[in-house]
Amino acid sequence: MENIVEFKNVTKRFKDFSLENFNLQIKQGYVTGFVGANGAGKSTTMKLMMNLLQADEGEVKIFGMDYAGNEKEIKERMGFVYDSNVFYESLNLKDIRRIVAPAYKNWNDKTFYNYIKIFELPLNKAIKTFSKGMQMKASMAMALSHDAEFIMMDEPTAGLDPVFRRELLDILQELMEDGKRTLFFSTHITSDLERIADYITFIQKGRLLFNDSKEDVQDRYALVKGSTDILNRETEELFIKVERSSYGFQALTNDAREIKALLGDRVMIEEATLEDIMFYAKGAKKQHV
Amino acid sequence: MINLIRRDLIIQKFQLYVFIPCILFFIFFGSHLSAFFIFVFAGFFIPINAYSYDEKAETNILLNSLPYTRTQIIASRYIGAIFYMTVSIGIAVLLFYVFNRPFTWADIAIGVGITLTMFAFAFPLFYLLKPGHIGTAVTIGFILLVILMGPVITFFEEYLTPAVNFLSSVSTSLLYLSSVGVITVLYAASWLISQVIYQRKAF
Repeated sequence: MENIVEFKNVTKRFKDFSLENFNLQIKQGYVTGFVGANGAGKSTTMKLMMNLLQADEGEVKIFGMDYAGNEKEIKERMGFVYDSNVFYESLNLKDIRRIVAPAYKNWNDKTFYNYIKIFELPLNKAIKTFSKGMQMKASMAMALSHDAEFIMMDEPTAGLDPVFRRELLDILQELMEDGKRTLFFSTHITSDLERIADYITFIQKGRLLFNDSKEDVQDRYALVKGSTDILNRETEELFIKVERSSYGFQALTNDAREIKALLGDRVMIEEATLEDIMFYAKGAKKQHV
Repeated sequence: MINLIRRDLIIQKFQLYVFIPCILFFIFFGSHLSAFFIFVFAGFFIPINAYSYDEKAETNILLNSLPYTRTQIIASRYIGAIFYMTVSIGIAVLLFYVFNRPFTWADIAIGVGITLTMFAFAFPLFYLLKPGHIGTAVTIGFILLVILMGPVITFFEEYLTPAVNFLSSVSTSLLYLSSVGVITVLYAASWLISQVIYQRKAF
């Protein structure tokens, strides 16, 4: 399987935050969801992908190419949606199309106007009068109108009403059908991922926790509940994080099989949702999830 | 590249409607202003205005996410500035001609020279400055320029007679040629500096 994006030991340091030794592969033809708390490094990762930031160490490859010398070719084949509006606020969509369209060789006006229709966007109103959801739709229309092979979206579903969110996920799913496209998007709404993601990338405090298929994640991770009697130093080692209450304990594991083998009937094992994983991983002491 | 230059016109559609009335205002009510000064204003107007749109981080994110290289973005700025300056001063000259205000070729040459020199200093400075400060810097710079220009010229005339004598003793063509040389070098150096600054910029 080919990787569309490959980060090898990428390090990017800021004053108060750093991405350390980051390795990431995004598989061609699949939807990869990108999750992590605010400030975990999602936007930094995406900016590194777009060459808005350059890595201090390590290498970033898109379509198997380095940015050096291939910048135009890479960006020609990429679509982007950022979490805030990047278009000139005082311009309307018609004018923005006049700026964006000629930048791409593969721009297709028919596709663009088709999305404008589906998204019910006004062509003659300034972007600054748009709601957050409409701005998102506008970026989406731009990102989808030049036959991009790789589409990167930073929280595209944020600010959208639930009805349109579903419609959008359907549109994205349709886009994926021919198997040529790759989609990478960050979100806080884990139900979106459960709907359309094939792979899940989880980042926390600038480190990659996992980058696995959704099935894999669902198989490995589980919520374990039981009486606190079972807990001792050895068994606690099996968990990522343990929460105690007067009724017993609840914990997250990334090795459901082992727990089953070791503790068997003495505990209850439940499927962990992505939200559970995010919640427990956040407070975890050990970080080798 | 042409798309990047064309973009300047699209983003300031409305300002363009203000441009011609402004020049006319200067022609009719700015009779105390030298012609070259109005040419400087004309040449400066569009490129600097376009620049003030580009100062926003979001705009840079957009431009750098589209299939352009940073080298192209800077080049479009420098080439675009020359292009728009030429067209704008051309329009101003036409208006001068239509409304019978006298001007000389020297006015045009001095106007172009000063405009290009100002670009050469302003652009790299803007790429260095943090977004949000550029509008203020332009306004302050322009006001200072207007205030200082008069005294500076008087100063040169009064106290630097030897220098002026020397300059006027040199043949005009030599003076123009060396000015062209100096301005070209300045502009090229400025382009190079902006390029280096922009290449390293993080968005």
